Amino acid sequence: MITDPREREDDSEVAETAGQSARQRFILEDTGFDEVPKKYRRFYRKWKGAGDMLAPNEVICPVCKVVIRSTRELRPGDRVYCMPCMSRLVVVRNQSGTLEARVAY
Amino acid sequence: MCAQPQRSAPIEIHDLDLQQFLEEVHSFEFWFEAVEGYLSGLTWGHRPDTPEAVFDELERDRLITVLCNYCVGETAALEGASGLISIAPNRLAKVFLSTQVADEGRHLEVFLHRLRDLGVPNPEAEVERRASPSLVLFKRRLLELVAGKDWEAAIFAQNVILEALEFAVFHSHGQTADPITREVLAGVVKDERRHIGFGENEIGRRLAAAPHIRARIGQVKKELDHLVFDTLADTIKQIGLPRDEEDRLGRAYLESVERLGFL
Repeated sequence: MITDPREREDDSEVAETAGQSARQRFILEDTGFDEVPKKYRRFYRKWKGAGDMLAPNEVICPVCKVVIRSTRELRPGDRVYCMPCMSRLVVVRNQSGTLEARVAY
Repeated sequence: MCAQPQRSAPIEIHDLDLQQFLEEVHSFEFWFEAVEGYLSGLTWGHRPDTPEAVFDELERDRLITVLCNYCVGETAALEGASGLISIAPNRLAKVFLSTQVADEGRHLEVFLHRLRDLGVPNPEAEVERRASPSLVLFKRRLLELVAGKDWEAAIFAQNVILEALEFAVFHSHGQTADPITREVLAGVVKDERRHIGFGENEIGRRLAAAPHIRARIGQVKKELDHLVFDTLADTIKQIGLPRDEEDRLGRAYLESVERLGFL
């Protein structure tokens, strides 16, 4: 389930590797997250708790529990930034097969 | 649910160069624009028209004790963060700490004001009277580390241990608090995200660059852990949260220190 307002489209230009499927692109909208300057707000949203689900372009920051959003589908090895807590994170696939972010000090 | 048509490739902040990112998020400008977003329009940390709850005497007394101890924690962080500016190892850390000092000063002020709202005539005297001994000891030890110019140990004690404790407790208390206290706590928690992130990342980078400091920081953790857990137990009892919440908050506190490799 995708809970945020957005529109998805495929973009073959972002298929960096031959044989790898193109990454989906996402248009992000401001969801009311107000803890960063306006120009960055669409890259973050609040985790709504039980019942909320992450879209393919989202991971949770393990430090401050905010949802980090990207304009493109996330894959293992991607680097993302959590501005609300100033962390640099790397996306990994965990044992259950879902994506999560680990802090890269 | 409408999405704007995309005319060109969106700017992706996750593509920022690391140094650019660090410069941006540690800047006074970033802090100012961030806090403006959630503090604008508030008075003493809450909307001016939020109604006051009706408390019975026991509820009021317990809330006063909890707020008094929040004031002890915020005073520790205010004095600690301001003292750390002079020994911060670089400009980014100094500027960030200046924003943290402003945050901590605001937190202390809004909690003291909330105590006045609740009918406490002399909040600062009440804070002294009701302060948890374990939290007072924690504050004393933190300020000793700051006075000793021990950057890593002091940042660990303040921005990892104390801030992680406050983040977990304020967030949990905010779920059950009266409307005004809830709004005050919500604003404070938003500030705390920056503080815990700064602490964890600073210590993480230091440990990666100088692994020999791990033993010293581990010793600080061992020394302070029981004070943290005693404070947590006292606070949860006063807030009136169930026992399983104490376990959950204890785990939330431990998460950050475990990510840094301290078990």
